[in-house]
Amino acid sequence: MERTSKSTRPRLGRRAFLAGAAAAATFTILRPALVRGTEANSKIALGLIGCGGRGSWIADLFVKNGGYQLVSCGDYFADRAQGVGKKHKLNAANCHAGLSNYKKVLADKIDAVAIIDPPYFRPAQAAAAVQAGKHVFAAKPIAIDVPGCASIEESGKKATEKKLIFLVDFQTRTNAFYQEAVKRVQNGDIGRLVNGTAAYFCGLMFGKELPADVEGRLRHWSMDKVLSGDIIVEQNIHALDVCSWIADAQPLSAVGTGGRKLRKGDDVIFDHFNLVFEYPDGLAVSFASRQFGAGPGGIDNLMFGTQGAIETHYGGAVKIHGKAPYPGGDTGNIYMDGAVANIATFCDSIKAGKVDNVTVPPSVRSNLTSILGRIAAYTGNKVTWDEMIKANEKLIRNLDGAKD
Amino acid sequence: MNQRQRAFRVGIAGILAGAALLACGCKRDVPETPPPAMAAAAPGASPAPASAPSSGPASVTGAASAMPAHPGAGATMVNSVGMKFLHIPPGEFRMGSDPAEPGRHDDETAHDVKITRGFWIAATEVTQAQWQKVMGLNRAEPKGENLPASRLSWPQAVEFCRKLSQAEGRTYRLPTEAQWEYACRSGSGGPYSGGKLDEVAWHMDNSGEAPHEVAGKKPNAWGLYDMHGNAAEWCRDLYQRDLGAAPAVDPAGPAEGAGGARVVRGGSWGHFARACRGAARASFNPAYPLERVGLRVIIEPKSPNPSSNP
Repeated sequence: MERTSKSTRPRLGRRAFLAGAAAAATFTILRPALVRGTEANSKIALGLIGCGGRGSWIADLFVKNGGYQLVSCGDYFADRAQGVGKKHKLNAANCHAGLSNYKKVLADKIDAVAIIDPPYFRPAQAAAAVQAGKHVFAAKPIAIDVPGCASIEESGKKATEKKLIFLVDFQTRTNAFYQEAVKRVQNGDIGRLVNGTAAYFCGLMFGKELPADVEGRLRHWSMDKVLSGDIIVEQNIHALDVCSWIADAQPLSAVGTGGRKLRKGDDVIFDHFNLVFEYPDGLAVSFASRQFGAGPGGIDNLMFGTQGAIETHYGGAVKIHGKAPYPGGDTGNIYMDGAVANIATFCDSIKAGKVDNVTVPPSVRSNLTSILGRIAAYTGNKVTWDEMIKANEKLIRNLDGAKD
Repeated sequence: MNQRQRAFRVGIAGILAGAALLACGCKRDVPETPPPAMAAAAPGASPAPASAPSSGPASVTGAASAMPAHPGAGATMVNSVGMKFLHIPPGEFRMGSDPAEPGRHDDETAHDVKITRGFWIAATEVTQAQWQKVMGLNRAEPKGENLPASRLSWPQAVEFCRKLSQAEGRTYRLPTEAQWEYACRSGSGGPYSGGKLDEVAWHMDNSGEAPHEVAGKKPNAWGLYDMHGNAAEWCRDLYQRDLGAAPAVDPAGPAEGAGGARVVRGGSWGHFARACRGAARASFNPAYPLERVGLRVIIEPKSPNPSSNP
C-alpha cells in the first residue's frame, strides 16, 4: 500500500514531538533588530525562501506593496535564486542556494520571511524562522503530513508568544464575498447543513512523469507526491478549505479513491481523487478532483442546508440561494487579489503588532483535512480524523545526493 | 379621552424598575439616577450613562398628548396600537465583541460608543396585530396576533414608522444598530444579556424552527424582550463591514454601504446561537421580505438637527 511502502512512522507521538519542539524553543534569543520593521517610515526587510514560479511572482507583489524591501533570497537552485536577486538588485552574497539556503536567508539582516519553497520543507523552515525571530508569511499548504501540521501549529503559537506575525496565504479567506457568504451560512441563513459537493477540476498541470535524479525531483517538486503532498494537499486544498470553513468544523472521516490514468510512477502525484468527507451532525461532502484532459473546470463548492444553498466559485460567483438569499458577486482575479491582500495584512500586522495569528488554526485544519482525504484514497479505507492524528504518519523523501 | 390621549398613558414600570432599584439600593427620588441596571458596571461596558435625564420626576404620570420632555428612569408608555415603550437614557457602552468570544465574526470590532440622546424603545418586537393595525395587511406566516411581524422589507418597516409618526405626531424610527446594541446589552457585556441564552431567546435549537409569541422569554435588565432571537430586527443603518476600533458618538452607519444592504440585529428563531449574540451583525438586501426578519421601533425626541435618514 502507498502509505506503508513510501513512509516511515516515527516512534515519537504527536505530544512527544510537540514537547520536543517546545524544549528546543527555550534556546531562542529574540533579536532586537526585529523592531526595525515597526519603526515609522522604515520598510520591512524581507527574505524570500523559494524562488521558483510562485516565489518569483510573489516577490514582485511584496515589492509593489511598498512596505517591504527584499534583501535576501534562497532556493535550492542557484540559477533561480540569482534570477530573483538580479531582478530585485540584491547583493550576490544575499542570494543563497542548496538545501540549507533557508538557514542563510534567516541569518541575513531580515525582519520577515516569505516561505514559498516546496511544502515538504515548509514546517522546518517556518520553525527555524520563528526561532530566529522572524515574522513568517507562509504559502499554502503549510505541510504535507500530520507531524508537519503539528509543527506549523506549534510555530504559530510560538510566534504569538514571541510577538511575531505568522500568516498563511489562503486567497479565498480574504475575499469579501466568500467572507460574507460563509458568515451567513454559519449564522443559519440556509438552515442546517445537510450535504454538498466540492470540486477542483483542471487540466494537466506539471506534466506526467518525474525525473529520476534528485535534482530533477527538486526542480519538478510539484510532480513528486511527497515533496508536494500530492494534488489533494497542494492544489485541491482550496476546495476542501472552503468546505471546512463553511462547516466551521473538521471532518470526522473520509473514504474514497484516487489514482493515475495519465501520470506514471509510484512517486508521482495522482491525477484524480474522489472522496466522501463526513462532518459532524451528519453533513456529508462529496469531493472530486482531476488534473488531466479538458472540459469544465474550476474550484467549486456547493453546500445545501435545510433552507437554502451556498454556491462558491474561485474566480467566479459566490452567492446564497433560498429563503434568505445573498446575491454576492464575482470574486474576479482572486488568485492575485488574495495574495495582494494577505501581503498587505502581513505588513499592517507587523506594524501594528497584531500577533493573534488567526490564519494558522484554520489553515492547519484544512491541511489536515486534505491529508485525511489523501490517506483514505491511498489506502482505500475509511479513515477517521482521530486515526489519522494517532498514526501521526511522517512522509520522508530520500534526498541523498542533493547539495547542502 | 380621545384615542391619542389614551395612547399616552405614561407611568413608571413599577415592578421592573422597583425591583432593580431595590437590587442596588438606589434612591427612587433621584431623577438623575439612571435605571440601576443601566448603572450596573459590567466588564466591557461603561457603568453609567454619560448624562442622565436632566430633570423631571421619576414618576411621570397621567395621560398626555405629547411625549414627556424629561422622562424619568424606568418610564414607560403605551402608544395608539398598544405598543409598550421604555425610556432609555443617554449613556456609553462597549459595542462589538471580545476577540475571544465564541462564535464571533470579524465584523464586530470592539469600540466605545456614546449615545448622547435618550430614546424610547418598544419592549417587544412589533407584533402581527400591531403591524396589521398600522399597515392594513399582514404577510407573516404562520399567523398569530402576538407573533412577531415578519416578511416585511426594510422600506415597509420604514413606512410603518412613517405612518405611526404621522398618526401620533412624534418621530418613530428604526433604531440605529448602536442604539439597538446599547439597548440589548442593557449595561452588561458578553454574548447575551438578561440571562442564559435559552432563558432569553428563541433560536434555532430551542424554537422548533418557528416564531413564538413576543415576550415569552425573560426580559433583559432594562425590560426588553426578545432582543436575542425570535424575529431578527431591521435597523436603520446601511451595513459596513468594518466599524473600526475608534470611539464613536451616536454612530448611524455609513452614507453609502456595500450593495445597499441594511443591518439586521438579534438573530432569530431560525438562526444559530452565534447569530443571536448581542454583538452579532447581519445584513440583508432591503428589498427582501424575509420570514425571519421583523422590526422593533424607537421614538426619538425631536432633534435640533434632524437627519435626513429614514
